[in-house]
Amino acid sequence: MNLDDELRAALRREDPSPGFAQRVVARAKSKPASPSWFSGSWFPSSWFPRMMWATALAAMLVIGFAAVSEYREKKAERAGREAVLALRITAEKLNSARDKVLRREN
Amino acid sequence: MRRIFLITLIAGCVAVQLPGQLLQLRITGLDGLAAKAKESVDITLDSNLLGIAFQFLKSNSKDKDAKDVQAVLSGLKAITVRSFEFNEAGQYRMEDLEPIRAQLRTPGWSKIVSSQKKDEISEIYTRTEQGKVVGFAIISAEPKELAVVAIEGSINLSDLSKLGGLGVPAIAIPDQGKKGK
Repeated sequence: MNLDDELRAALRREDPSPGFAQRVVARAKSKPASPSWFSGSWFPSSWFPRMMWATALAAMLVIGFAAVSEYREKKAERAGREAVLALRITAEKLNSARDKVLRREN
Repeated sequence: MRRIFLITLIAGCVAVQLPGQLLQLRITGLDGLAAKAKESVDITLDSNLLGIAFQFLKSNSKDKDAKDVQAVLSGLKAITVRSFEFNEAGQYRMEDLEPIRAQLRTPGWSKIVSSQKKDEISEIYTRTEQGKVVGFAIISAEPKELAVVAIEGSINLSDLSKLGGLGVPAIAIPDQGKKGK
């Protein structure tokens, strides 16, 4: 038998055995689906409302913490600027008072 | 139980009042001037805010000027500044300053510098307790400008004079013991 005959024999069309389609369908149904977040197979479906609330609460805590930090930072910045301005005015008025006294003495 | 509740309530009220009482000099009688002024400054920093300001300057400025500011701030318990600049003269009366000057005539306060002309007043006061300067006040009244400064706490005036780099003019402070003329 030459190569052409061997290939022809190997690639010839054959009908599947009886019940092949039913076996494939049955096998597909029996195989477990791959885990998926959306399918709900990781957590019982009854957990989802709790998970949603927990996520929302965590998000609120993070936002709240960020807002408080921002407020404290602004407050500190304002206090710093006001302190410097207050000292500047104080120094200016001291200087002015000194100059007036010196002018009177002269 | 009721008595305990009342005591707790009163103690709470006293605790709330304490920060305000630290400002021994109350700047009153100037409330209506801001509306007439071209520019006005109203700053009140208690010990809590001064602490916050100190920490802010400490963490955000590392240069020498900032350290000089911190040196001045570190001894302060409270600072109050009311400053007004007017477009024209006659927007306030000298009598408006009387409630403040009356407080500065009470025991403990000493006038160390005073300069008066017909429409100008410059006065510097210090407050001493047990021989230590614990307060400082300035009244500066000119026809178009009025400023009142009250500081509680220990302040080194020569440290204050070093703050030129932050826009504060370097000044030579008269001897604190010298009485004004």
